[in-house]
Parts: sequence; C-alpha cells; structure tokens
Amino acid sequence: MLDLALTTLLSPVVLFFILGLLAALLRSSMSIPEAFAKGLAIYLMMAIGLKGGIAMSESPVTLAMIGVFAIAIALSFSLPAIAYGALRVTSKLSRIDAAATAAHYGSISIVTFVAATQLLASANIESSGYMVAVAAAMEAPAIITALFLASRGKQKSEPVAGSESGELFREVLLNASVVVLVGALIIGALIGTDGAKQISPFFVDPFQGVLCLFLLDMGLSAGRGLRHGWRQLDAAALGFGIYMPLISASLAAIASILLGLDTGDTTLLMVLSASASYIAVPAAMRLALPEAKPSIYLTLSLGITFPFNIAVGIPLYLTVAQWLQGGA
Amino acid sequence: MHAMKRLELIIERMAMKRAGRVLESAGIKGYTVVPALAGYGQGSYWQRDRDMSASQDMVIMIAISSDSVMQVALQDLQKLLGAHIGVLSVSDVNVLRPERF
Repeated sequence: MLDLALTTLLSPVVLFFILGLLAALLRSSMSIPEAFAKGLAIYLMMAIGLKGGIAMSESPVTLAMIGVFAIAIALSFSLPAIAYGALRVTSKLSRIDAAATAAHYGSISIVTFVAATQLLASANIESSGYMVAVAAAMEAPAIITALFLASRGKQKSEPVAGSESGELFREVLLNASVVVLVGALIIGALIGTDGAKQISPFFVDPFQGVLCLFLLDMGLSAGRGLRHGWRQLDAAALGFGIYMPLISASLAAIASILLGLDTGDTTLLMVLSASASYIAVPAAMRLALPEAKPSIYLTLSLGITFPFNIAVGIPLYLTVAQWLQGGA
Repeated sequence: MHAMKRLELIIERMAMKRAGRVLESAGIKGYTVVPALAGYGQGSYWQRDRDMSASQDMVIMIAISSDSVMQVALQDLQKLLGAHIGVLSVSDVNVLRPERF
C-alpha cells in the first residue's frame, strides 16, 4: 500500500496537480488560459473515448458487460440518496444545497478516472475498454435522483422565467463532455485497431504530457475553490468530502464482488463511484436548482474530494481491489 | 436625440439564454452580451476561470428600449432573478436612431 501510495504521489501527473494546488493556495498569479484548458479537456476526453472504443471493437458484448452497466447506473441513481441523507443528518446544509451536492457525488469525474487508468497501466494491471462507456453512463442518473430529492415535500412552483422545455435535458445529455466522450467511443469502436494507428501519434504518445498540463490547471482550480469556498462549509460538510467517496467506493467494491470483476475493473468502478463531478453536474444544477449555492458543491467536489481521490483514494481503491482478488 | 431606457443585467452564464428569452418575449429588439471577468459580492469573490464547468461564469447583458417595453421586461426579469444570481440596473440614455429600439 505504501509503495503504491508513493508511486502515485511521485507520478508526474500527481506532482503537477500538487504544484497547481500549492500555487493557488499560496496565491500565485499563475493561470492556464481558459480556452487552452477547455481544449485540453476536449483532447483528454477524445483520447480516453477513442482508447475505450478501440478496445471495445476487439471484444464482443457479453452478459457480464451488461451487468456492469446495470450496476453502475444503479449506483449512480442510488449514491445521491445516501449522500443527501448524510448531509442532512450531519451538516447544516439546506434541502436544496444538500440535493445539489448529492448529485455531484452520484455522477463521476472523468479526470479521476483517467488518473486511475494511468496508475493501472503503470502497475501493468489490465482493465476493460468498455469502462469508459460505463463512465459516460454514470454521468447523468444522479441528477434525476437529486431533482427528486430537492422536490420532495415542496409545492409545485412555476417554471423559472425564460426557461424552455428540454433545456435541462440538453444540458445533461448533450453537454460537451458527454458528446465528446461518447462520440469518441463510437468512433474508436468503428475505426478499430487499424484506424487507431493513423491517430496514435497525436492521441497516444502525447497523452501523458497533456494530462500533466491539465492536472496543473485542475490543481489551480481546486486550490482556488478551496481557498475561497471553505469558509462556507462547516466541519461536517468538509468531512463529507472525504467520507462520502469512501462509502461510495465500498458499495462499488461489494458490487464488483457480486459481478466477479477483476482487479482493474473493480478499481475503476470504485474510482467512478467515489469520484464527484465538477464539469457536467455543476452546469446542470445552475439550470435545475439555481437556488443552490455553487460555492458549496464546487468546493466539496473540486476542492476536497478530487484532491483526496487523486492523492489517497486511487491507490487505496487499487489496494482494496487487489486484496479482494487475494493478490495484495 | 431620443430618450430611452438602458438595461444592464449582470447574470450567471447558465441563465443567459433564459434572460435573453425574457427580453425577446417582452419585445426588446436586441441585446448584447459581454463576459464579466471577476467580482465580489455577498461575502465571496468569483472569477471567470475558477472552475472547469464554467458554471460560475458571469456575463453582462445590455439592452436599450422604450420605457413601456422595458417595464414589461422588468416584470419577468424580477422573477428570473428570484432564482438566479444576478444584478439588474436600468438607466436613462439618449439614442440617435429610436426606430432601432
């Protein structure tokens, strides 16, 4: 476990994340241009989607695969209910703030997923290509649960002025991350290994370097969010950012045992369940629950849970997955 | 020169389309949107490039119209700002070509 934690902490990706985090906490003026950061995000999602799609082109759809999708979607639907309950019991967050925060913890962080796949690759542990599709499938269900939780016991109110039917649907299912990830996955499945050779100089070789740049920006975002947002959270809410991923990962570990997943896929399902969204869900929440305070859910998901998962969570989940397979 | 009302609405980016629909349905003939970089309000700072989702980004919407049209728009904008983060102000301005507004 200690070796694995050290390997993770000393990987260039995590070191650049820590650099960004420290720079923001120390109030450095360093910043990554906004448009460049968005370009990096699109590149990473294209690369990971293509990789998953190409791997899927070589393996047929099996009943076990469908089982993983079903369990993953069920986790995404149910984790917000646990998160909401925990927040309402332990913290002073309002019903709306707790529901909006809970949505983030049922959805996923694709960068945490990518960091986990890198650790698995460095440890020579294989994982299934279709786990990228599982990640995409876990993006949205949590939002539905959160909206249900927020509306409980509340009288039906008029729609917000200027709102349009279908706008939330578009934001949730057609946001940039879902379109790029699913689109690249399909393209990867269509082009297969032969087609991959044409694009690998751009999407495979520079991937690690681009990931370092992106994690530097994520560190800056996390640090700034933490610096400005922590005052709005009580100790119970801050603690939630650490214990909720552990609860989610534990449930995913139990599900993995039932599904008979190998070490790599167990780790990735735990990582997906433990990660919290900071791209798709915050945007959806501004439309669906505009009364919720973004500084609360973004500080928790980006400022606390993301760094925790990157530095501690991923090696911990891999260790648990290895232990479950009897290979610790 | 002709007297008109100028609306300046600082609002979260995610609500920009909603505000635009309100202005259009009130009869306002045009508006301009510019990005806001950073600010401070209600005890906290915000900054444009702070989070990847850009869900905390703010924009400034500027529209000019006659007083009667502006009053219609303000009624619905008040409801919009009941839910979304934003600051609204209206001022008196003079324009050269009133038929454009």
